[in-house]
Amino acid sequence: MPKNWKPEDKSIDQATQEMIKKAEKENIETIWDRLEAQQPQCGYGQLGICCKNCFQGPCRIDPFGDGPKKGVCGATADTIVARNLARMIAAGAAAHSDHGRHVVIAMYEAIEHGAPYPIKDEKKLKSVAKKLGIAVDNREIKEIAKDVIKKAFEDFGKQDDSIINFADAYANDKRKQTWKDAGVAPRNIDREVVEIMHRTTMGVDHDTVSLIAQGIKASLGDGWGGSLIATEFQDILFGTPQIGKREANLGVLKEDYVNIVVHGHEPVLSEKIIEAAQDPELIELAKKYGAKGINAVGMCCTGLELLVRHGTPIAGNYLQQELAIVTGAVEAMVVDVQCIMPSLVDVARCFHTKIIDTSSLATFPGATHIKFDERKADEIAKEIVRTAVENFSNREKNKVQIPKGKSEAIGGFSVEATLEALGGSLQPLEDAIKSGTIRGIVGIVGCNNVKVKHNYNHITLTNELIKNDILIIGTGCWATACAEYGIFLPEYAKNAGDGLRTICESLGIPPALNMGSCVDCSRMLVLADLMARDLGVDISDLPLAGSATEAMTEKAVSIGTYFVASGIFTHLGTTPPVLGSQEVVKVLTENAFDIVGGAFYVEPDPVKAAKTLTEYIEKKRKALGI
Amino acid sequence: MKAVLIFPERCIGCKHCELSCAIAHSQTKSLFSMFSEKIISKPRIHVEVGEDLLTFPNKCRHCNPAPCIEICPTNAIVRDESTEFVLVEYSKCITCGMCAIACPFGIITFDKTPNVMTNRSVNLKCDNCIERVEEGKEPACVEACKTNALVFGEINNLIGKKRKNITKTVTKSPDEAEEFELPENIKLWRSMLKHEAHSNKN
Ligand code: SF4
Ligand code: SF4
Ligand code: SF4
Ligand code: SF4
Repeated sequence: MPKNWKPEDKSIDQATQEMIKKAEKENIETIWDRLEAQQPQCGYGQLGICCKNCFQGPCRIDPFGDGPKKGVCGATADTIVARNLARMIAAGAAAHSDHGRHVVIAMYEAIEHGAPYPIKDEKKLKSVAKKLGIAVDNREIKEIAKDVIKKAFEDFGKQDDSIINFADAYANDKRKQTWKDAGVAPRNIDREVVEIMHRTTMGVDHDTVSLIAQGIKASLGDGWGGSLIATEFQDILFGTPQIGKREANLGVLKEDYVNIVVHGHEPVLSEKIIEAAQDPELIELAKKYGAKGINAVGMCCTGLELLVRHGTPIAGNYLQQELAIVTGAVEAMVVDVQCIMPSLVDVARCFHTKIIDTSSLATFPGATHIKFDERKADEIAKEIVRTAVENFSNREKNKVQIPKGKSEAIGGFSVEATLEALGGSLQPLEDAIKSGTIRGIVGIVGCNNVKVKHNYNHITLTNELIKNDILIIGTGCWATACAEYGIFLPEYAKNAGDGLRTICESLGIPPALNMGSCVDCSRMLVLADLMARDLGVDISDLPLAGSATEAMTEKAVSIGTYFVASGIFTHLGTTPPVLGSQEVVKVLTENAFDIVGGAFYVEPDPVKAAKTLTEYIEKKRKALGI
Repeated sequence: MKAVLIFPERCIGCKHCELSCAIAHSQTKSLFSMFSEKIISKPRIHVEVGEDLLTFPNKCRHCNPAPCIEICPTNAIVRDESTEFVLVEYSKCITCGMCAIACPFGIITFDKTPNVMTNRSVNLKCDNCIERVEEGKEPACVEACKTNALVFGEINNLIGKKRKNITKTVTKSPDEAEEFELPENIKLWRSMLKHEAHSNKN
């Protein structure tokens, strides 16, 4: 199939371009080929104006206003777009929250049934307990843990109308009041998702504003519930991230080693795989097969979870997953849930690579299934690593080509580690913001989207903002992009404006901070909340903004929405399917300001977006009188 | 004379016209059963992407004089007297491809069809859904298109409408005129598409 594009047009990263070329030479289809084959993509879908919520449909609304103006049941474009949007939020919130639930269950299994997950960070457990109003003094760790688990389980299951425990414990009073006034305080993480499904089924809620409000509620159940729970419980079980050097990009794969890539989102299993990869017996076995050892690396958010906690190298972000296999040097790609392309199995067929699926939620036809069970975590992890090791002898040497590209990066800026880097409190950062040395902070969240040149928006937006003395914090595929580009090195501060550069140099930190995976967006909320408390204002008063500049998943829609609902002006660099309703667009980009203090802003050009975000931050500074 | 006029600026690339065309030319004329037919019916209209991810639903114009008729060595292509549609007599088509070379719109494709007894490919171009039109219906693609990118009617009436729009357009200031008629949100969407098409190139 002749291509209409060049590899150089598809990624700013050389290692990535090199692998796209290799795939092309070997006739291996990748995501860019499939996007081309999908053109034209249906405009109804892109505009969000088709409804298939009942089988009287599908119904489509003519966006030009001449054809059908209503679905069979009478639903208008506004209703249909709002319902579709709410469903996207429901799916995104469900994914994050289910992830959170799995970690709580792992801890529960450890405490009650001896699953091999000892509590690694007792300090964090105690601080979470204290926030939740659980007594910690003179109590056994196990007892405290039980109470914390109970609070989390309640948030997934309680039936009263009060706000969930975690949001109540973590958000400041001003924010909670805003939610209460708007009627969007989440009552139960699961219930808000279920209620979206109820409201959007045939013939229930047809009002854009109340549909969006319910979307906001579910998203807050994600940001201040499911995701926050995931982050906090993972820190307790696996350790709170600390600052340290890591490596990133496809070049972290090693020629003479058994390469295992752990990919997906949940660290409950990958933690164990990293442990098993260090098992002397298995390393011996690898040597018996002629390898020098075992090289376990990460990919996507599972990769980031490992990177921030253990310094595990990361082989790439979302758009690089197929390309890791194209190197021909991967013995096993171990996948759990979310953002895993089903095409991996097809790409792997061109090589000796085994795709091993591990989650009871996610089965990949054509993959090797080794399903995970918390109680037998150690054995299963060893079995997975052994499968990879045994596959080494099948590697075809002449098919191997690992790109040289890899970069060093500092990572692991949990809220705790950030406070430590600042000398124990946010004071230095707040002072720098007050004095204007740093103008403000922008939080950028993950995703690559194949419609955007890989990493281009991430890197361009980051560069533009740091030039304007804006400190960047962020997570997900954005973080991997920055790691690959060398932005997470303290020396990169030389590209920042004078003010930010001085601060970075004096603290020895990079101008952009990697806070972890996409569930770790909750860390950004916690940080924003701390700052608001210190300054005695609401989050929406702070000189902050958010961005999802290569947004792709439903999870990103949920993240964006809880950012907005937390009072943060949030940029999207790709368009969610909402443009079919001018009313919905207006609610999201204008009216939301009046209701929750934040709103969305769509701009595909990262340079223009940086300008608008900077102006917004300056406006907030002025209002604060700083 | 009745014809299908195309308004590409209204096409949103959903390809519903393609699917409906295939259904209309299938044996069972049903979406749910057509894919289990022996020879699977193919669309005779082609929605392809051009500049800036904009789409163009391309189909036979039923030209007069028609280059395909003029060049066909076996007289397989004929003009229906009453409708003036350009039709193919599949049994006479020798799949030489002359018509495809001559067609200025590149819409002739060759494939198998249940309508010819032999198991070979023939010129399968659009027949303007003559069977449907004779029953007083619109061509299938036109009926399927919910944005009115395809409109069927007396050609002069249709052109008359277009002419009125053009008159309005040219009497407006040039920058306003360019995207005359497009609603705001659609303009925004188009500009996002344009950006998407270009952003991969910088
Ligand atoms: S819910 Fe209404 S708009 Fe949606 S498919 Fe059914 S009839 Fe059509
Ligand atoms: S096939 Fe081509 S040349 Fe022949 S009538 Fe149709 S558009 Fe004209
Ligand atoms: S007029 Fe009929 S045959 Fe021609 S493209 Fe349309 S649906 Fe197909
Ligand atoms: S049905 Fe209409 S809008 Fe859809 S692709 Fe065909 S011409 Fe374009």
